Amino acid sequence: MQKIPLMLAKAGMTLARDVFRGDSPVGMPLCGKGTELTDSLIARFENMDAKTVYVAGHPVSEEGERSIDDLLRELDFRFSKTLQEPLNALLYNIYKAYLTKWMGGRQ
Amino acid sequence: MTGKRSDLKKIIMDTKTLPTLPSVIHKLNSLSDNDKSSVQEMAKLVSSDQVISARILRLANSPSYGFYRVSTISNAMILLGVNVVKSLALSSSIFAIMEKDIVGLWEHSLGVGAAANLIARKLGLPECEEIATAGLLHDIGKVIISIKCSDAEKEILKLVRERQIYTMEAEREIIDTDHAEVGGWLSKCWFLPDKLSEPIAFHHDVAASKNHRIKTAVVHIADVLISASGFSNSGESFVPPIQKIAWDTLKLDEQLLAELVDEVEDKLVEVKNFSLEMMGD
Repeated sequence: MQKIPLMLAKAGMTLARDVFRGDSPVGMPLCGKGTELTDSLIARFENMDAKTVYVAGHPVSEEGERSIDDLLRELDFRFSKTLQEPLNALLYNIYKAYLTKWMGGRQ
Repeated sequence: MTGKRSDLKKIIMDTKTLPTLPSVIHKLNSLSDNDKSSVQEMAKLVSSDQVISARILRLANSPSYGFYRVSTISNAMILLGVNVVKSLALSSSIFAIMEKDIVGLWEHSLGVGAAANLIARKLGLPECEEIATAGLLHDIGKVIISIKCSDAEKEILKLVRERQIYTMEAEREIIDTDHAEVGGWLSKCWFLPDKLSEPIAFHHDVAASKNHRIKTAVVHIADVLISASGFSNSGESFVPPIQKIAWDTLKLDEQLLAELVDEVEDKLVEVKNFSLEMMGD
């Protein structure tokens, strides 16, 4: 899941969170999660003052964002003291798979 | 108890006030001015700040109020009334200055609170909100050490950097105690209920938790998950070892852990945004 400004939203992306008027959780709900975005939907959000949307996966690369190699190197460092513990090794592998999947999900 | 330790204990027992991030207060004020906002909304906002949460819980649990033990912010808000909570929040806005390393800790606490809540719900445990509160407050000892013994804290951070050790180890070496124990003392003198004080005092030693081991185990696992995700800079560089007793108590398995990682990471996107928003104000 990634939070992006509405101007970077493109048709074909999938909403990961509900969208509300004025981005306020107490605002009027505009669209439910799981919906695939279309150009007209994005235009409607713009009219209704929604400025950011949560989309599934990681479709937009942000400036200054770390690469998958950096992320994995940091992960290795964080686990460097505890990798010999079986439970921590398990968690390490889960995180490694998660990061790879997450970054691989980029379009 | 050695000299250093009892000195520190005295300093902490003397704690009357704690600093806090002021934007929570502004948000709380505007929320309480709005006729349409509910106690639940305000409680949710306040719960996102460990220091205000702690202060309100401390008040609600103090003998002068004479209430039963309260362990959730929404209960405390109902018992104390919105106006008391508001003035409490206002008075604490004096403590506007937050140092950078505390902001990291604040984010870490927010993350652990959210993760603890997620784990508790996923496992279908009772009293999810208490568990989340315990998660939010679990490192309150670090806040106290940083405020009350800033010199010692600098030494601790230096030692952690130089020797690449856990904060706990450095704390034991320099102040002869650690943040979990300090948090335990603090929750005792604030009359927090056991279900909060045990997870705070034993989140690094789950086996020592006798009455609320499940809650302590959840907070421990939540702490490990947030450290593993590298979510914020709480001064701790390394993932603590997962304690077998916590794993067994919660009957976790690989499948469950993988699902938790997915859900926690999703939640952290929101927590991060919330925290940036709060700091940007």
